[in-house]
Amino acid sequence: MTTLPHSFLPRTTLYAAAALLFIPLASFAQTADSQPAAKQQAASAKPVASHDQWLHVRVNNKDSKGEVVRVNVPIELAEKVLPTINKDRLHNGKVHIDDAHMNDVDLHALIDAVRTAKDGEYVTVQSNDQNVRVAKSGGYLFVNVTDKPDKDGVKNEKVEIKVPMKVIDALFSAGKDEIDVVAALHALSSQGDTELVSVKDRENDIRIWIDSKNVSDETVRR
Amino acid sequence: MLLLAKAALTIGGALALATAYTFHEGVISVDVDEARAGGSHVHSWVPATVVPMALQLTPRKHLREAAERAQEFLPTIRALTRGLEKYPNADLVEVMDEDQHVQIRTQNGKLRIDVDAPDEHVHIACPLATLEDVSSSLESNAPGL
Repeated sequence: MTTLPHSFLPRTTLYAAAALLFIPLASFAQTADSQPAAKQQAASAKPVASHDQWLHVRVNNKDSKGEVVRVNVPIELAEKVLPTINKDRLHNGKVHIDDAHMNDVDLHALIDAVRTAKDGEYVTVQSNDQNVRVAKSGGYLFVNVTDKPDKDGVKNEKVEIKVPMKVIDALFSAGKDEIDVVAALHALSSQGDTELVSVKDRENDIRIWIDSKNVSDETVRR
Repeated sequence: MLLLAKAALTIGGALALATAYTFHEGVISVDVDEARAGGSHVHSWVPATVVPMALQLTPRKHLREAAERAQEFLPTIRALTRGLEKYPNADLVEVMDEDQHVQIRTQNGKLRIDVDAPDEHVHIACPLATLEDVSSSLESNAPGL
């Protein structure tokens, strides 16, 4: 039988213990280190699910300072957060409208009339100052207002609003004197990529749209 | 000699384990630089693991007081942080002009707020999980619950 040196056993035990101690630690550190990178990779590589729609708002100011505002909000997140805000007229994701602010207009009857009406142009106003067009087509309500160019030929304000009828229905689904913002957001999330609002005037370009991208097209990354 | 090696190994191992545990939830960083006379310069770097521990050690009276003040906003903060965990890398708000740049975004599961202006630079990063822990803890200490 081979006689082992006296210190062999404790040394081997020590090395083995050290190895056992550091192997999980090393793998843990590796996991911890690679976690953010892996998460980032997963986040960038993962295709966005169809229900992950984002609401984007972009305001470009054309003055000398050139202010730019970009807001990107996941619609699902907005749906969850809005009901938690109870302030002024906003409660549980619904905005209360006073009769006093309606100027005796029965908004629900008006919406119902638009919903049941066939596609077509409802309002067309052509004046010296501006053209106004309100139309319904392909499940969308369109409102276009275009100011006519002034004496110098400079184009003034141009407003284009395109709202899915489903969203309008959801908006007024709560009750007579309420606007259900959460229901409207939910309806919006089922829409594909849609340009909702575009306002262009001398000072600002404003765009509101939904798509499945989690960043606005021009967002600057550090 | 062998005893010394054993002691060093034990201490080293314990230190390595403690470090790994301390930083596994990430780090809260706050950097504030005000470029004016008497302006503040704050640079702090705290492991996020410390926050739940600190909440456990904070006297209940103070937690209740803080919860009472923030009660109105707690459900919103909680819903926001919980919801944002689904979006670990997203640009939420960006405002910039000629000389200012403000960004609010999530990056690697952290909420980041960056403000760069001629007279001040503010950079704050906090893991979303920590924000949720804090709001949950405050909610559970809110009066009436």
